[in-house]
Order: sequence, then C-alpha cells, then structure tokens
Amino acid sequence: MNSLGLSATDLATAVKNREVTAAETVAVSIGRIAELEGKVHALLTPLYDRALARASEIDRKIGKGEDAGPLAGVPVVVKDNLCMKGIRTTCGSRILENWHPPYDATVIRLLEEAGAVIIGKANMDEFAMGSSTENSAFFPTNNPWDLERVPGGSSGGSAAAVACGYAPLALGSDTGGFIRQPAAFCGVYGLKPTYGLVSRYGLVAFASSLDQVGPFARSVDDLALALDVLSTPDPADATSSRRCRPGYRACLGREDLKGLRVGVVKEFEAYPVQTEIREALGRVEGILRGAGAEFLPVSLPTTIEAGLPCYYILAPAEASSNLARYDGVRWGLSVEAEHLVDLYMKTRGEGFGAEVKRRILTGTYVLSSGYYDAYYLVAQKARTQISREFTEAFRNVDLLLMPTTPTLPFRQGENSEDPIQMYLSDVFTLPVNLASLPALSLNAGKSPGGLPVGVQFVGPRWGEETLLGAAEAVERVLGKPAAAFGGEWV
Amino acid sequence: MAVSKEEVRHIALLARLHVEEEETQSLQRHLNGILEHFGRLKSLDLENVDPFAREDLDVTPWREDTVVPWDGREGALSQAPRREGDYFRVPRILENEDE
Repeated sequence: MNSLGLSATDLATAVKNREVTAAETVAVSIGRIAELEGKVHALLTPLYDRALARASEIDRKIGKGEDAGPLAGVPVVVKDNLCMKGIRTTCGSRILENWHPPYDATVIRLLEEAGAVIIGKANMDEFAMGSSTENSAFFPTNNPWDLERVPGGSSGGSAAAVACGYAPLALGSDTGGFIRQPAAFCGVYGLKPTYGLVSRYGLVAFASSLDQVGPFARSVDDLALALDVLSTPDPADATSSRRCRPGYRACLGREDLKGLRVGVVKEFEAYPVQTEIREALGRVEGILRGAGAEFLPVSLPTTIEAGLPCYYILAPAEASSNLARYDGVRWGLSVEAEHLVDLYMKTRGEGFGAEVKRRILTGTYVLSSGYYDAYYLVAQKARTQISREFTEAFRNVDLLLMPTTPTLPFRQGENSEDPIQMYLSDVFTLPVNLASLPALSLNAGKSPGGLPVGVQFVGPRWGEETLLGAAEAVERVLGKPAAAFGGEWV
Repeated sequence: MAVSKEEVRHIALLARLHVEEEETQSLQRHLNGILEHFGRLKSLDLENVDPFAREDLDVTPWREDTVVPWDGREGALSQAPRREGDYFRVPRILENEDE
C-alpha cells in the first residue's frame, strides 16, 4: 500500500487498521523529501531518526491493541518557530542558530499525543518577518510549482512541504497572513484560527496580539482533524480561550449551503487584483451560489484604508519588545564584548538580518517618547475601529469571500529590494489578524501558466465550522488540490 | 517629519542594536518611506475611538498563584553562552554606561 496518496485522516485509519505501519509511512515521507528537497529547500532541520523511533513506538502501541490517537503515524512538518524539547529551533535566524529549547510547545505536545510523527522543521522568514521566505538567514525556499518563484511567507517551508507531499499536514503561524499567503502561493489549504483557539505557548513570539498557530493540509477533512487536535484550552497561554471546542470534523458533510450569507467587500473590489485571482473569486462564488448560498455586499471602509499602516505600526512595535529578549546573555548567539551594553549591541547587530533590524527600529521608533501618540496610539484606535467594522459586517453575513493575495506568486528577488512593496502583498490577509478573526485560504485552480490561485474565506470569531463547511462545498466541485511534481493524491 | 541619520543612530541605541554606518542610510530611507505610508492614518476620524476597548478579546482569566515545579532548569542554564554555576555570567556593567 502506498501511503503517499493518502490524506492524514485516511492514513491514520490505515495505520490503526494495520494496512500500513507507521514506520513504512515515515519511510515513504523520508523518500519523498530525499527526492525533492534538493529543488525545494523547505526544511531547515529534518528529524528522520527521531521520526523513525517515534513511528516504531506507535507501531508497538498498535501491536499491543492500544489507541494510537487520531493522527496515528501521520507525518507532520512544523515551522521552525515552534519549540521542541532538545531539538534545534532557529526561527530562521542566526541569533538562534544553535538554540535547543528546554521544553515543547503545547501544539507539539498535542500533535505527538495524537500520534503524529514530526518529520522535520520547516524554513521560514527570520522571526516570521517576511512574505516570501527569502528572509530566512539560511536559504530561501522555492515554490514547488515554479522553482524561480517564492513559496510565500513567512511559513513558506511548511506550505511547500505540504504541496510537495512531504507530509499531509504541516503547522505554520499567521501574524499577518503568513499561513494563508503561502497556502495560496503553494496551492494548498491554510487555516488561521480565531485568536485564542490554539495555544501560543512555545511559539517564538513575533507580535503576541496577532500571532496564531494553524494547519496546512491538502483536504478540508484534514484541516478539521488538525483543528480538533490543536484547539484545546491551555493554562500556559493566558490568551488561550476556554471557548475552544473540538468537534470540527463532526460538523463536516453538510449537503448544501442553503441559508449561508456570503459577503463581498465593496472597497476591495476597487483594489488592483490580478485577473486570474478575480476569475477564481468568480468560480468560487458560482460554486457557493450553486450550493444555495446568497451573496451580499458589505462595507469595510477603515479596514481597506488603515489595515496596512495599522499592522505595520503595531506588529513592529510588539516585535521590538518581544525581540528585546535576545541579548546574548541567556541563550542564542553571543558576541564577545568588554561591557554589557556592547555585548547586547554587537550580538543583536550580528545576529539579526536586515528585515528584522528594520522592524525593530520601526517598532522602537513608534513606541519612543514623542511619537507614541502619533503612531502607536492612533494605530490602536484604528485597530478598534477595524474590529468594529468586521463585527458590524458579520451581523449581516456568515462569512466573507476575498482574495488571499493581490498577485500570483512573485519571482525570487522581485520584491526583496523594496520592503514596502513586499508589505503590500499582505493587504487582504492582515486585517483578519487585527480583528482576531479566523480565515481559510483554499486553492481555486491554476493560472494558465500553471501557478496556484488562492482565495480566502473570513469568518466571525469562532466561525471555523462555517469556513470549513464552505471550503468543503468548493472541494466537492474542484476536487482536492494536487501535489506538486506529479504526486498522486486522493 | 523626516527622520535624520542622527535619529536612526539614536533609535538603534535605544533598541540596543549595532548598525554599521552603511546600514544607517538604508534604514533611514526605509523609516522615512514607512512613516510616509503611516500618514494615511491621519486622514481617519478616530477622535472618539477608545484605543484599548477591543471587543474581539476575551477577558484574561485569573489563575491561582501557586508554584508549579518545572524540570527545565538545567536545560535552560545549559544554553547560556557564559555560565557560572547556576548563574548567567555577563561582562562588566558598571563602566562605560555613558548613554
């Protein structure tokens, strides 16, 4: 039996029914990585030995008739900003090049308790700052559908790994679109959960009020399964909500979308979006209408105007504070110096890359005396307003249909000389983080040139079930996204 | 409103971030570019908006103030670039504190 073709859901069932062993499954995954990694460069740290040992443990459990969990033997790739005890966790940065966390992130523990086998740690933009994975301190990741293009970012390695079939599931983190944009660029599903649904404990912090961990997959069923495993209240994260309630998979399988009200944002229609993406939006609208959904216009005037500047004030402000901990004293890179302040300055100057420095300085500037009121405070007000606008919109609709990105995957180097141009690629994704909402990016076909085209659904807080249901309706018509490089996939 | 090179150096010092002279110029250009972009916010009417009254957040839960044993102490200390027993060692801190 070839486990490469199976979804996580089917794979776990096959492993539990002893149609395939976890060890065989992991071996298939390792083989796929060996075949493609030289082209794609999605992984910073493969964990083959550890994965094979874990797989044997799971097979032993199953041999003894024990329950091996809903993800029994399923290979999973995780973004390298998720801490794993004793495993190098770099966050894509030189400053953490040799850091081995003394604890597991809660999501890592949950995955492993559910029987998942973590097969590798995925490349990312340094400290998740970037939209192309070109800001990794180690190497860029290539888009599996066109190696000269970027996979998106910052979770580009995770998205590329799922697109290549290294594993049916991967974890990323989404601060301003960093799961959804790479999911769109790599032609897979990516889900950014409601803020507070998934624990952030052990996720290396970028902007704590915006960061959220979420899954990549190639089937809606797998996304739902991953959410069922991950959405558990966690006392170790004060922002982890007690409203977490697994049961997403059980909600799938609705026959139609009768009564579903889908909003289209009027202001976004005027925004320049590539033709292929507009056409994909039309395709998805047609499918949803065919399933019984009704479409209504909604208005988010502040969001379109202020979302981008608001995000690029608040996220760097939080980052400048969060990244103050990298001081060369307690862990990570440390440069020799005579005096403590020099130690801080030299370590940080050497350890951080150009984009991280830009964000730290921007954040420090907007928080500094004399500028706080003009920037940080105004941005917080704008955030309140944006959040209110979404709340208002969701009184009339159940979800929004929007582009994930204004463009198809761009070429390596195309935006790296102009950071602000790069920031513009986040225009449709980051308002969702500002308002703490859930959103799901799905593949809606290919461009004539063979590049994946993504669109996203945005829901009200705790609206994950609605997003998954709508995505399932689209999947029924368009099919599950295919794997790159001709991987057969069910 | 433009940020000067001198200001870039000052902010870098506040951020405890050494920047090379040639980096200063590109950082200055970036800061000025992004601040111009932030100017968009000025056109919004946000006079009566509470900056911290976000309805999209749950109330932060209280928890009991109890000690929970943690077994990561040695793991944490073993990552220290310079360690002395159970302490992190740092270079001198009392001289050259001139800023």
